[in-house]
Amino acid sequence: MSSFIGRRSLSSGISLIGLIVLIFFLSRLTGDPTGLYLPLDASLEARDNFRVVHGLNDPLIQQFGRYVADILQLDFGESIRKARPALEVVLEAFPWTLWLAAVTLFCVTIAAIVIGSLAAFNVGGPFDRLSGMLSLAAASAPDFWIAILGIFLFSVNLGWVPTSGTGTVWHWVLPVSVLFIRPFGLIMQVVRGSMINALSSAYVKTARAKGVKERSIIFVHALRNAMLPVVTVIGDQAAGMLNGAVVVETIFGFPGIGKLMIDSILQRDFTVVLAAIMVTALAIFLMNLLIDLLYAVLDPRIRY
Amino acid sequence: MQNVIKTIIGVSLLGAAISSAYAAGDQDVRIVLNEELDVVEPCMAARSNVGRVILQNVNETLTEFDAQQGGLKPRLATAWEQLDESTWRFKLREGVKFHNGEELDARDVKFSLERTVDKSMICEVGVKYFGGTEMAIKVVDDQTLEVTTTPAQPILPLLFSTVPIVPDSTPRNEFTRSPVGTGPYEFAQWNVGQNIILKRSNSYWGEQPAVETATYLFRSDSAVAAAMVQTGEADIVPNIAVQDATNKDTDFSYPNSETARLRIDVQVSPLDDRRVREALNLAIDREALRGSILSADVIPATQLVVPTTSGYNKDLKVWPYDPTRAKKLLAAARADGVPVDAEIKMIGRTNIYPNATELMEALMAMLQDAGFNASMQMYDVAEWNGLFIKPFPEGRKPSVLQAQHDNAKGDAVFTAYGKYHSQGGQSVLNSAHVDELIEQATSASGENRASLWQQLFAEVNGNIIADIPLFHMVGYTRVNPRLVFEPTIATNSELQLSQISFK
Repeated sequence: MSSFIGRRSLSSGISLIGLIVLIFFLSRLTGDPTGLYLPLDASLEARDNFRVVHGLNDPLIQQFGRYVADILQLDFGESIRKARPALEVVLEAFPWTLWLAAVTLFCVTIAAIVIGSLAAFNVGGPFDRLSGMLSLAAASAPDFWIAILGIFLFSVNLGWVPTSGTGTVWHWVLPVSVLFIRPFGLIMQVVRGSMINALSSAYVKTARAKGVKERSIIFVHALRNAMLPVVTVIGDQAAGMLNGAVVVETIFGFPGIGKLMIDSILQRDFTVVLAAIMVTALAIFLMNLLIDLLYAVLDPRIRY
Repeated sequence: MQNVIKTIIGVSLLGAAISSAYAAGDQDVRIVLNEELDVVEPCMAARSNVGRVILQNVNETLTEFDAQQGGLKPRLATAWEQLDESTWRFKLREGVKFHNGEELDARDVKFSLERTVDKSMICEVGVKYFGGTEMAIKVVDDQTLEVTTTPAQPILPLLFSTVPIVPDSTPRNEFTRSPVGTGPYEFAQWNVGQNIILKRSNSYWGEQPAVETATYLFRSDSAVAAAMVQTGEADIVPNIAVQDATNKDTDFSYPNSETARLRIDVQVSPLDDRRVREALNLAIDREALRGSILSADVIPATQLVVPTTSGYNKDLKVWPYDPTRAKKLLAAARADGVPVDAEIKMIGRTNIYPNATELMEALMAMLQDAGFNASMQMYDVAEWNGLFIKPFPEGRKPSVLQAQHDNAKGDAVFTAYGKYHSQGGQSVLNSAHVDELIEQATSASGENRASLWQQLFAEVNGNIIADIPLFHMVGYTRVNPRLVFEPTIATNSELQLSQISFK
């Protein structure tokens, strides 16, 4: 087990280094940020001064060397836009994204497993047809449309929940609900398909012949074996959410890492972009490791 | 059935309880800005949203420009006089205290001015308003200071309406995250990503304003921000999109001091021919754009400053829509060997204002109808900057560039140099006469100054035809009916809480 973790850490570390090099040079290709930060009327002298202060006049390779040297001391540089350490900016936003992703995925997983399993139990029945139709609609619904619709229906017209923002548990209802819809549709379909296979297997028939209750057959015997592909898909969805839910964060004014990254890219705030990518890459690496370990728990045949 | 009714009543009551839980107190206001503040540093108050929070609320200035009536009002300075061509004396208000209890004196003002123009700070106010100006500041006594500028600045008191004053205990070489000022509100809290809270100061030297607490929230989606006023979650949204301004009782339009134009690259053929530039202006049906792609409240422009600016030339007329004459002018130019059929690239900037892309598409169609070989391309702001600001790309093709200019400071100097002087950062002009007019006007004062600016605009927009002036733009503000507040031309750069009262 420990050698597996070591190997995974090494390969992820190499990927991370490659990512840093790639993002550093690619982001510099997107242009000089001077014009974005100074007023349009700024003099040529002021523009030159800006470049000197932020080290943008130095050769690219020199900038990279300085960046690597700083990073080795865990100094990710200063955000030009926010005038404070880039890592501090990122670590302020990341917990919001992490919580949003965790709460949403928890709800999605529970709902998808229960509904997907019940649909698989009676394939072609009314519940299967209805849930299939709804999950397909959910998987294809655009986030921004659902979000705006949700605000106008549940906040403006019914007044049940706040339109946006943070502060109380009620502020989480709409963002989580909107984020819930698409992964739910997808994961529910995977659960259903996987459960159909599991329920038609020999050990389920044996359990039925022994008179085991249907609830136990579905949620104890079949579900555990059907979970491997489901865990894979959940992991994939989680990785997407850890990168931030840009649309949801933008519409609901949620201070997560997705909007921070997009704003930083648009503003050419290179240090924040790099810090954000490294933090999310690290989180995704840890999550993938967790999923691999979960495989072994779910299927004793898997050994590392 | 009874259970269903009970459930519905229960959920409704719960909803009502939630609504009241996030409603503001009677004397509190919630203001929704369209983007989160990156910094709260007073010397960055030239950025719209920083200005809306900080300017004259937390940090005051020596003078205050009256954007509606024109002219300067005393604020922290009670009087000022010009001692000679380049030296001004300012007398400070007595008995003014900063929120930290320190007394305001001339040393604080000297500190604030020097900090604002410090090159290592790169303050927006310093870069925007004091580029190329050296200041020597002498503290005469606690309440008096003299400022000598090189070159002479006849509008120094106006320039000082942009510099927020901080105590000399403020960090000298870094941005502060908890600004201290003399204004009617203290900077109480900054919950990054969520809100900023200002609280009324009990030690304010002036009249106590009605608002006790102001909470600033950040929503980039205009529809959501507007909905927040509807649900009672917010009181003012200074900037909503035209399509969200649907309620006459709560939504107010105001001139936002921005002027939209297309900059003509007069140095590149065929745009170096005046007839072609005139044809460009005649090809635009400005009336067709009002109330369709743009708000019906926009005002057709003749020049790059708004009518309340000193130096605005009233004699310039809006170009009529006359495609027939445009075609004749093009034919005459073609006959003289001008390559009028060359492709003219229309360089647009996405989201420079609402419906910017749609406007460019309409303008392209109008130019094509008049016989121009026009094509358009939209750029994001970073790429657009590379085309708008010097140095311009080598071997560039003929182009007109979508731009917008904000001048709410009442003097044309904030427009003229950068846009039209041959050394200006965004100028495509290279005219000795224009340069001379700008230099003369910059060092002149009073009526003579205004007259020289008028001559400049007559030259640039009447004689040379350097632009396709489009419109003086408007913004929309949504205001909760419980408040008394009317947005003005200044709302684009500041939002004074002391101007808000309750019904």
